[in-house]
Order: sequence, then structure tokens, then C-alpha cells
Amino acid sequence: MIRVSVTIADEHLAEIESVAGALRDRGMEVEHVHDALGIITGSMPDDSRQALTAVDGVASVDEEMHYQVPPPDSPLQ
Amino acid sequence: MMDPGTSRAQDRADAGFEPELSRAQTTGRYVITFAEEGADGDPAALLQSVAGLSQIASSRDFDAQAMDMAQTEGADATVFSELAMAVVSVDPDQLGALQTSTDAQRAVVAVAPELIHHIMPGSAGSSPDYVRGYRDGVGDLSGRFLGSTGAVAAAAPTIPAHFEDDDRATWGLHATQVLSSARSGQGVKVAVLDTGMDSTHPDFVGRSVTVQSFIAGESAQDGHGHGTHCIGTSCGPKTPEGTRRYGIAYEAEIFAGKVLSNAGSGADAGILAGINWAVANDCAIISMSLGADVPQPHPPYTHAGRRALRRGTLIIAAAGNNANRPADPGFVGAPANSHSIVAVGAVDSDLDIAPFSARSLPGRGGQVDIAGPGVAVFSSWPMPMKNRTISGTSMATPHVAGIAALWSEATGYRGLQLWATLARESERLLLPSVDVGSGLALAAP
Repeated sequence: MIRVSVTIADEHLAEIESVAGALRDRGMEVEHVHDALGIITGSMPDDSRQALTAVDGVASVDEEMHYQVPPPDSPLQ
Repeated sequence: MMDPGTSRAQDRADAGFEPELSRAQTTGRYVITFAEEGADGDPAALLQSVAGLSQIASSRDFDAQAMDMAQTEGADATVFSELAMAVVSVDPDQLGALQTSTDAQRAVVAVAPELIHHIMPGSAGSSPDYVRGYRDGVGDLSGRFLGSTGAVAAAAPTIPAHFEDDDRATWGLHATQVLSSARSGQGVKVAVLDTGMDSTHPDFVGRSVTVQSFIAGESAQDGHGHGTHCIGTSCGPKTPEGTRRYGIAYEAEIFAGKVLSNAGSGADAGILAGINWAVANDCAIISMSLGADVPQPHPPYTHAGRRALRRGTLIIAAAGNNANRPADPGFVGAPANSHSIVAVGAVDSDLDIAPFSARSLPGRGGQVDIAGPGVAVFSSWPMPMKNRTISGTSMATPHVAGIAALWSEATGYRGLQLWATLARESERLLLPSVDVGSGLALAAP
């Protein structure tokens, strides 16, 4: 499974819950539906990017990125 | 060091910028600015009753208010109704009435002589001789600079720039004119998405603080220090116990979202959840001192930033520390390289670019938008250490976020209007715009 953020297209923001349902039907494990932002986060099977991107109302499927700040004792933060 | 009690605008006026007006050419007419709200009646009626003007042309008389200036020539007054302004021809008695009568005092905000504007202000006009002289002068000047240094050197506006921490405050608060601000961030909600916050720290006793962890298995308590330091700068106290001031919006409501773990790491899901939380709680500002060194804008942040702006939330993010100047100027990383998110670069106490501060990327959104103090920044640190001095664009970002809270309080602006205000009000620096954008963020008066 790959962790992803799925961005909903502007014109489908009102139907974000049904888009989430369609994503689940295609194998996505939906963790959070952020309706203030129109973004759904969770994970997807390795080979399902195309299937999720094809869902009506999906603007973008993006692999999760990671962020790291330096250790507390670093003078540069 | 500059006296923090003196505004730089005042310095400029003292240095002779203001007297320009006395040498300007005027038409003999006056420009009247009316109050937008609370004025009794319309401007035309007031001009009639107070100054006795009868020939009044109004932009409302024209289709789509496209005023034909030829048709207004004979008028005593021309009213621009969308601007609540008028240009009037009046004698001294009428002028006096417009400035001092009771009705006028309520309805008139300003009376100023109408100025004549030229392409070259204060020049001798645009005669062929003048233009030739100008061309020759520029040619001579550029020749001398190119001949001697190989580059055109600009004349510096000589504002002294060196700041130091003193008993009152950090250098960064002096440089950004926070000490002379009448604002405190009161009524403004500021979210800081970071490693959480030390809720036991004396700096935040008695403050309105909402904490939330978006890291599984960890409370919002800051087990790192980075988050507490950032909150100390953006929202710390006016008079911290036993030391100098470093906090900007000292009466803002704090929303501390933990999206980076105690080990300093986080991922999109938690950060997006934090942004969603801040937007849903109607925060005016989100400060995010985090990033990944990737040059491509990350679509979820571009959309999240745009949608947050639409809801009145401005996201301010660190440009990144991936530069190693002068050899390598680096690049703005994600999420700051999204065009819907403000990217903050770092300057030092001489207002020079910090050696680590990332430079703008080519392309949409990849630019540094503004700069803040980011070298040797003293602020809060989790107890028992209490305070610590560190550097980074992470430290510049909460300066800009705190200043944004002051502007939001002062103007009521949110979203893009607040962004524009930060940019418009920032101090231009003699540094490339690719490094500092519009310059150093300055506090609201």
C-alpha cells in the first residue's frame, strides 16, 4: 500500500463523500476526508493510481511526502 | 542601532522627501475626499450647501461612469462617486467653508491642492534638448560604472541597517518595527503547525491556547522544541519573565497543531489535517516552518492553499534552508513553492540574506515572497531550558506570521487582501527579489 493524498476537483467539492465512496470501491483505504480543503488522505494498492485518478471528481492523486526538521540541538532549524 | 521609537517614514520625511510637494505645480483647484460611510447626503449636495457650488458634474451622469472630461470643463466641481472624491474650483471663502464648517467636518476627510503630474516629476519638461541631455547623462553615468566595475552600481537609499538584541527586545522585533506597533493580534486566531507546544511554559500562562495533535500516539506537548520556539516568536508574550521581548502577536489566540513528531518528522496526511483544522476553526493565519527539499510544487498544498485563502486563511511557510551561499543559492521547497502559499526567506541582523536561505525557483509559485529575521533568533524553548537562540527560515516564518496577525487586527483583512498588505507594507531591501521577494515584513503601526 502507498500512502496518498487525493485532491477533489473544485466543481465536485460538494460531493466529496460520494467521491470518497468511489475511491473505496477502487481499493483505497480512506483515512480522512477533509471537507474544508477538498482533500482525502489514506492509502492505495500499489497498482491503483490510474484507477483512482480516473474517478469522476478527482483532480490529483499524489504520493505522500515526508518532512523532517533537524534534531533539537542543531543551531540551524 | 536604530531608535525603535522613530518610524522610518518619519526619517524619510526628515530627509527631505515631503518638501517635494511644495515644489510641485498645482492647478489652483482642490481635490476633496469625502468620508465613505456616515456622510450626510451625497457629495454633490454637500458641495452645493456648504460651498454654494451649482455647476456640478458627476461620474454618475455618464454611461458606465465613463466620464467625458471635455463635458466637465465648465463645471465648478466634478464628483467621482465610486471614489467619494471631487475636484472643485473654489475661492478662498468657499475653501474655508469646505475645511471648517460643521457639515464639512463630518463629511470631508481631506482637502488637497490638485497637482500637475509629469512623466518626469520635477524635470524641466520633455523638450528635445532635455531628452538629449538626459540620454547623454545616462550614457555617461553607465559608461563610468561599467568602465570601473563591470557592473552598474545602484545608488543606495542609505537607511542604516544593523540591529542587535538589547534589554527591550530581539534584533528581529526592532528590525520589523514591532515595538512601535499599537497592535497585539487581539481577536486574531493564529495556527502554528509544527512539533506542538510546551503547555507548561510560563510564556503561555493565561493565554487562549487550543492544542491538537495530528501525530498518532503523541500528545500535542512539544517533545522537540521547534514548535515552541516558533509559537514564542509569532505569539509570545509582550513581557516575558526576566528577559527581552521576542513575541509579536502577544494577544492572538494560539492554535498549536502538532503535525511533526517529537523526532521532528511528519507527512502530508497530518499536515493537511492540521490545515483543515485551522481553516475549520477560522484561523486567519497558518504558520508552517516545515518543508521538503523538492523543487516541484506539491498539488495537495497548491489546492489546500487556494481553498484556505478562499475561506480567509493565509498560509505562510518557510522557503527552506537548502542554500549554501554564495556557492549554492538553493531553491524553494514544498509546500512554500505552491503559488497559493506565502514563502518566507531569512535575513540576518544586517538585513543581508542568510547563507542558508533558499532562492526562488523559476516558474509559477516557486518564488520567495517576503523575508523575515532568521539568524540568531532568541525565543521560547521547552522547559526547563526556557529560551534558546537558533537560526533558519523556520524562524523567519513565525515573524511574518505574527506580523500578519497585527495587520489582520489593524485592517480586518484576511486571505489575499492580507497577503497583499504584507507585501505592500514590507520594506524593500537592496537584495535580489529572487532572495527576499518584496523585502522585510514590517509590523502594522
